[in-house]
Amino acid sequence: MLPSIDPGITNSLLEFLPELVLVLGIVLMLLLRLVGSFNRSHLGGFSLTIGVIALFVSLLQALGEPGLKSVLEAVSLAESSVGKTILSLAQTPPPAQSQSMMFGGMLIYDQFTIFLRILLYVILVLVILLTMTTGIPDAEDSADFYCLLLGGTLGMVLMAASAHLLMVFLAIEMASLPSYALAGFLKGRRQSSEAALKYVVYGGGAAGIMLYGISLLAGKFGTGYLPELSISLAAAFVPSAEGIPFDPILILATLFLLIGIAFKLAAVPFHFWCPDVFEGAAAEVAGFLSVASKAAALALLARLTMFVGGLDPLTLTEPAKELPYLSIIRYLVPTLAVFAAITATFGNLAAYLQTNLKRLLAYSTIAHAGYMMMALCTLTRNGVDAMLFYLVAYLFMNLGAFAVVAYLRNQTRSEDLADFRGLVRRSPIMVVTLSVFLLSLLGIPPLVGFAAKFQVFAALFNDGQRYFELGEKGIGTTLLVLLLVGGVNTVLSAFYYLKVMKVMILDPRVEDLEGQEAQRYPEPIGASLYTGVLAVLVLLLGILWGPLVTWSQRTVDRFRVTPGKDRSMLVASAADVEAGGAGGVGRAALPKGKGNVKGKGGFDKGKKQ
Amino acid sequence: MAVTLHHYLVIGAILFGLGLVGFLARRNLILMFLCAEMMLQGVAINFVAFARYRGNLQGQAFVLFILTVAACEAAIALALILMLYRRQGSLDVSLWQELREPDLDPTEDEEPLPPPPKPEPAPHLPPAGKEPLHRKQEKSHV
Repeated sequence: MLPSIDPGITNSLLEFLPELVLVLGIVLMLLLRLVGSFNRSHLGGFSLTIGVIALFVSLLQALGEPGLKSVLEAVSLAESSVGKTILSLAQTPPPAQSQSMMFGGMLIYDQFTIFLRILLYVILVLVILLTMTTGIPDAEDSADFYCLLLGGTLGMVLMAASAHLLMVFLAIEMASLPSYALAGFLKGRRQSSEAALKYVVYGGGAAGIMLYGISLLAGKFGTGYLPELSISLAAAFVPSAEGIPFDPILILATLFLLIGIAFKLAAVPFHFWCPDVFEGAAAEVAGFLSVASKAAALALLARLTMFVGGLDPLTLTEPAKELPYLSIIRYLVPTLAVFAAITATFGNLAAYLQTNLKRLLAYSTIAHAGYMMMALCTLTRNGVDAMLFYLVAYLFMNLGAFAVVAYLRNQTRSEDLADFRGLVRRSPIMVVTLSVFLLSLLGIPPLVGFAAKFQVFAALFNDGQRYFELGEKGIGTTLLVLLLVGGVNTVLSAFYYLKVMKVMILDPRVEDLEGQEAQRYPEPIGASLYTGVLAVLVLLLGILWGPLVTWSQRTVDRFRVTPGKDRSMLVASAADVEAGGAGGVGRAALPKGKGNVKGKGGFDKGKKQ
Repeated sequence: MAVTLHHYLVIGAILFGLGLVGFLARRNLILMFLCAEMMLQGVAINFVAFARYRGNLQGQAFVLFILTVAACEAAIALALILMLYRRQGSLDVSLWQELREPDLDPTEDEEPLPPPPKPEPAPHLPPAGKEPLHRKQEKSHV
C-alpha cells in the first residue's frame, strides 16, 4: 500500500515559495528566447524582477516570524505608518511557524534559513544590478548567464537549509555546477577557459571525496538525517572506562566531509582553485562567487558543526547530556581552529606578493573565510551570531571591492596593479570608494568591517572564558590563542590593503612626472551610483550596527531543532519491516544492526564476524 | 565463504582509491574525469552495500541521485574539454598553466608526452552502386 501524501507538503511548498519563484524565473527565461522579440534582448531587467520578487516574498515570510519584526521594532519603524502597512501585509499569507521540516525532513525551515535566504537574494539582486551596469554579459548571452546565476543562488539557498546528508550533497552540486560554467563564461578569453577547467577539475575531485565521507557516515549510522546523526555521533563518542573511544572510520568520514566543505569555502589546504578562478573569471562572477558561495558554505558548516557539537553545548545543563557532546567538541574545536588559523594567516601572507588586483582580492577572501571560521570554532550560538553579522558586512565591502575592479577594468582595460598608478587623478570616485571598501576589509573603526571583526573577537573571548569556567581548559586556551592569531592577522592584512591604496593615490604615473594634464576617465553615472551606495552602506552599518546585531541574535536564538522530533519519512520504521522480509546478499550473511537509529552495533558488529 | 558487507566496502574503497590516484596522476583531461567518475562509482557501491545491510532504501536513493549528478557534471566537463581541445589541439592538462602565482615558473614534466599518433587516413568507401561483399555470419542474428 502506498503511503498517503504527507499533509505537510502544502506547508512545505508555501515555505519554499521564494525558491519556486526562482525556478519559475529560470524556466521562463529559457522559454522567452523562443519568442521573437525577446530573442536578442538583454534579460537583465527580467532576471532582476525575478530576484526582487523572490527577495520580497522571503521578506514577507520573515516578517511573519519574530526575527525581523524585532529589528523593525528596534528601529521603531513599526510605529510609523510604513512599518504598520508592512506588518499588516505580513500577517496574512505565510504559516507562522518558527521552525519546521520541509519535504519530509530534507530541508529545515527556521530563522537561520530565512536569514541566509534573504542575504543570498540581496546578493543576487546586487550582482544582477552590477552586471547590468558593467555590460557583461552582452544581450545575446544574457539568458544563459542569468539562468546560471539564478540556478546557482537556488543551490546556495538549499545549502543553507539542508537537514539531510543527501541534500547537503545535492545542494553543493547545484551551487557548484552553474559556478563552473559562470567561471568560463568569457568564452573568447583563454584565461577564462583555464579558470573553468581548474574549477571543474578540483570541484569534481572534492565532490568525490566528500561523497565518500558521506557514504561512510550515513552507512555507519544508517541514516543521513542530521538530527538523528547528531544523536548517534554523540552516542559513539560516550567515554568508557578506557577513555574516549577512537574510531578511525568516523574520523576519516568527518574529515572527508569537511574537505568537501573546505573546498567550497576555499579554506587553506584546499584553496588552490580560488586565486586562479578569480583571476580568470570576470570580476562580476568572481564577486558573486566570493560572496554568495562563501556565505552558503559557511552556513552549511555552521549547520553541521552545530548539529555535531550538540547545538551550543554551553547552554546544556544536564550532565548526562553534556558529556558525550563535550568529548566530540574536544576533537572538533582544535580541528576547526587549526583550519581557521592557517586559512587566515596564509591568505594574508600570500596576498602581499600579488600584482593582479583580482588575485589579491581572492587571497583576501580566503583570509576573511578564515576569520569567519574562527567564529564558528566556538561551536556556540555567539559564534554563529558573529559569523552571520560578518557575512552581512562582508557582502557589502567585498562585493563593492569587486564591483570597483569591474568598473576599473572597463575604464583602463587592465586589472594589473601596476596600471593603476596615479589613478586617483583619473578616476577619483572609483579610487575613493575602493579605499572605503579596503579600509573596511582591514577593519578600521567607523566602517562595518570593524564592527564585524569586533563581534568575532568578542565571541572568541567570551566563549573562551565560558569554556574555562566549565573546566575545559584546552578548549578555552585554543579559543584565546585563536583570538591572538586573529589580532596578528589584522595587522598583517594592513600591509597589502594599504599597498593598493598607496599605488593608486600616492604613486605618480610617468605622464604626471612629465607634467602633463591628467586625463580623467569617463565615470558612468551607474557605476558611481552603485559603488557610492555600497560605500555609504558600509559606513552606515559601521555606525548603526544595533539593528543588525539584534536580527542576527534573534536568528540564532531559535537555531535549534529538537533531535528525534520531526522524523523524516525516509527513516520510517515501516520501510524497515517491509525490507526485512526480503532477505538477500547482505542480510543472509550478516546480522542486522540494532535498529536504524542507534548505530552502535552496525558496522562494528559486522567486522567481528 | 560468505560474502559480507566488508567485501563490498573493500571493493568500494579500492575503486575510490584507484580513482583518486588516477585523478591526481593523469595528465589527459578525459582520463582525469573518468577517474573522478570512478571515485563516484566506488561511493555508489558503498551506498548500495550499506542499504542492503541496513535493509532500508536510503542508500539506493543516494545512488540514484549520485548517478544523476554525475551525468550533469560529465556534461559540463565534456563540453568544457571540447572547447579547450578546439583551442589547444591537445588534451594535455599541463598546457593550461597561464594562471599561476606571479613569481612561479610553469612546471615542466621531466618526461614529455609521447608525440600524438599520426591520424589514420579516412576509410575508403566503395563507390555507390557496387554491392559490398556479404559474409554469411552477418545474415543470422541469432
